[in-house]
Amino acid sequence: MREFMKRREFLKLTSAAAIVTGAGTTLILPARFNPARAEAKWTVGFSQATTLEPWRVQFNKDIKKEAENHPDVNLIITDGEDKTEKQVADVENLIQQEVKVLLISPKESAGLTGVVLKAIDAGIPVIVLDRNVDTDKYTQFIGGDNKLIGRAAGEYAVELLGGAGKAKGNVVEIWGGMGTEPAHDRHDGFHEFTDKEAGIKNLLSEQSADWKQDKAYDIMTTALRNNEQIDLVYGHNDPMAYGAFLAAKDAGREKDIKFIGIDGLPDEGVTWVNKGELAATFLYATPGAEGLRQAVKLLNGEKIEKTIVLPTMKITKENAPEILKANGLG
Amino acid sequence: MTALRLLSRTKLYWGLALIFLIGALSSPVSSSGRNIFLSPGNLTDVLRQVSITGLVATGMTIVILIGGIDLSVGSVMAFATVVTAMLLTQEGWTGSALLGIPATTIVAFVAVAALIHFVFKGLARGPGVEIGRRADVALDSWRGRILPIAGGLVIATVVAWFLTGQVAGKFGVLAVLITAPCVGLVFGLISGAIIVGGRLQPFIVTLAMMVGALGSARLLAGQDSAVLPVYTGTNATEEFEVLRTMAWGVIPVPGLFFLAAIAVFGCLLKFTAFGRYVFAIGGNEDAARLSGVDVVRVKLAAYAISGLLAGIAGVLFVAQYRQGKPDAGQGLELDAIAAVVIGGTSLMGGRGSLVGTLVGVLIFGLLSNILQLHNINSNLQLVLKGLIIVCTVLVQERNLGQVLAAFGFARTKGEAPGGTTGRAEQRTAALQQEGNGGNP
Repeated sequence: MREFMKRREFLKLTSAAAIVTGAGTTLILPARFNPARAEAKWTVGFSQATTLEPWRVQFNKDIKKEAENHPDVNLIITDGEDKTEKQVADVENLIQQEVKVLLISPKESAGLTGVVLKAIDAGIPVIVLDRNVDTDKYTQFIGGDNKLIGRAAGEYAVELLGGAGKAKGNVVEIWGGMGTEPAHDRHDGFHEFTDKEAGIKNLLSEQSADWKQDKAYDIMTTALRNNEQIDLVYGHNDPMAYGAFLAAKDAGREKDIKFIGIDGLPDEGVTWVNKGELAATFLYATPGAEGLRQAVKLLNGEKIEKTIVLPTMKITKENAPEILKANGLG
Repeated sequence: MTALRLLSRTKLYWGLALIFLIGALSSPVSSSGRNIFLSPGNLTDVLRQVSITGLVATGMTIVILIGGIDLSVGSVMAFATVVTAMLLTQEGWTGSALLGIPATTIVAFVAVAALIHFVFKGLARGPGVEIGRRADVALDSWRGRILPIAGGLVIATVVAWFLTGQVAGKFGVLAVLITAPCVGLVFGLISGAIIVGGRLQPFIVTLAMMVGALGSARLLAGQDSAVLPVYTGTNATEEFEVLRTMAWGVIPVPGLFFLAAIAVFGCLLKFTAFGRYVFAIGGNEDAARLSGVDVVRVKLAAYAISGLLAGIAGVLFVAQYRQGKPDAGQGLELDAIAAVVIGGTSLMGGRGSLVGTLVGVLIFGLLSNILQLHNINSNLQLVLKGLIIVCTVLVQERNLGQVLAAFGFARTKGEAPGGTTGRAEQRTAALQQEGNGGNP
C-alpha cells in the first residue's frame, strides 16, 4: 500500500514538473527564437535539413549574416533535424505562415518534392538550395557542383604527385556516405584525373567513414599498418582528411603524406590548411548568402535565373590566411 | 562426454581463438615479411579501437544482468564529449562548468558518505553473515549517520574547491577525468530513478533519456558549434595527450581504462554481495526482493555505473579524436548490446559475465580489423558483421541439432551436447520443442 502511494506521488510530481517546464518553455521559446522585426516588409522562410553538421552550421551563419544586410526581410529558419518527415512538417508550417519566398535545402530529393510542389501550388516562389528536388517547377536552384570540385581536387592531386603524365604514388581515398550523391560525384571527378596516370595506385576500395573524423581516423590507422608507402590521402570532406592526418601523425608518418580535403569551412579545413596539416581544401560554398540575395532580388520584382552553380576555390597555404581574416578567425 | 562438455562450455573462447587464427593466417604480409595482423602495433590498435565501445559495454553488461537495458549510453557519451571539450577549451563559467561542478560535488558527497556508512556496517556485522540479512545490523547514529555525512561533506568540499579553482583557466586532465564521468553518472542515476520510481520499462525510459541527452548535448554545445575541436597544445592543455599515448610503451591508455573497468567490475560482480544481488535480481526480481535484497538501490547503482562508464568513454573519445560533438555516440548503444550478447550474457538478465563481454568486444574489434586489413568494401563489411553477430549468438545459445529441429529438419536425440544451461535457453528451447530435448 505504501509503495503504491509512493508510486502515485512520484508520478504526480513528475508529471506536474513536466507540465510546468513544458508550459514555461512554450512561453519563453517564441519570444526568444522569433525576434519578429517590426519594420520587416517581407517574411522569408528557410527550411534547413539539419544543423548538426558543421557545413550546415556555416550555411545558417551565412544566411543570417546576409539577412542583416536586408532590413526589409524577416527571416524564419527551421531545422529539419535530419528527418524527412520533420522537414516536410516544417515546410507545411512555413506555407501556413504565408512566407513570401520559400528557401529550402532538402534533406533528400524524393521525400521533399511533394511538399515543394504544395508550396508552389500555394503561390509561393521556391528557391531550392544545395540539393535538388524531382521537379522543375521551382523558381531557382542554387548549388555547388561536386563533380567540378572533385575534378579540381584530382587535378591538384596529380600536380602534387609529380604532374600530368609522370605522376606517381599511392593514394588513399576515404569516402563520405556510400549511398550519397555528393560522395559519388566527388569520387568520379577526382578519378577523371588520377585514373589517367599510370603511376598512381589506389590503395583502398570504397572505404567509407560516413563523413566523420573519428571513423576516418580508424580507417587510416589500419591503412597505415597495411601499406608502408602512402603518398596522398583524399578525403571527401575536410574532417575525414584531418582524421587521417591525425592517424598519420600518431604513427609519426604525417610528413610523408599529403592530405587533400573538400568543403573549406573557415574553422575547419581552412584552419588546418593554414597550419600546414592539410595540403589543400576545395571550397564547397554554402548557398546561404547567395540564396537570400536572390530571394530579395525576386521580391524586388527582378527576374532571376533558373540555375546558379556556385564556383569552387582551391585553398592552400597561400590564400588561407586571408580567408581566415575575412571570417574573423585570423 | 566431459571433453565435449568442456569444449562446449568454453566455445566463446574458441570463437575468439578462431577469429584470431583466421586473422593471423590470412593477414597480408609487409614487404619485410612481417605478419601485419600479428604485429604489436596492429594488435594495440585493435585494443584502442574497441576500448570506447568496451567501456560502454561493461556498464551495459551490468544493466542487462539485472534484466534491464540502457539505450541512452551513446547520447550520454556524446554529452560527456561536449562537456569535456568545453571544459578543456573554454575558460570561465560555461554551461559545462555550471553543470559539471555541482554534479561532481553531489556525486562525491553521496559516494563518500555511502562508502563510510558501508565500511562501518561491514565492521559491525563482522565476517560470515549471509547475504540479504542487512536488517540484522543497526548502527548507532554516530557511525550510521553523522560520520558518513561529515566525511562526505569534507570530500565534497575539497572536490568543489578543486574544480572551482580550475574554472578561471581551462580545466586540466584530472579535473576533466573527474567531472565528465560524474555528469554521466548523474544521467544514469536519473534514468535509474525514473525506472524504479515510476516502475516503468527500462527500454522506454532509457530511450527517452537517449533523445533527451542528445538534445541537451546540442543545447549545451550551442546551435553554432556542431563540433568542438580540441587542439592539445594550442586551445587545450598539452597534458591531455596523455590519454591517447601508450602506457609504458605497450598498452594504449584507453585500453588500460577498458581493461581496468573489466577487472574492477568483474571483481565486483564475482566477489561482492552487490554482484550476487545483481544476478539475483536478473534471475528473479520478486524472489530477490522477498529475500531481502534492496532491489531499488542495486538497480540505481547499475544504471549509475553505466552512465559513469559512458562518461569516461566520452573523455577518451575527445582525447582520441580531438573533438567533442553531440552526435559522437550514434549507434554506440547497439554496438555495445551486440558485444554483450555475443559475450554470452542473456538479454533476459541473470546470466552472463564481464569476461564474456571482454571476449565479445574483442571478437567485434578483431573482425573489423581483419576486414579492414583485407580492404573489404564498407557496405560488405556491414553485411559480414551482421552475419557474424547472428552466427556467434547462435553458436552461443544453441547447437546445430536444435536449430535444425526448430525448422523440422531433424529431431534432437536425448540430451543435447550443449552444456551451458541457461534459463533463457531452457525457456526458449522448451517453447520451441515442447519438452523434446534441450537441457533438463
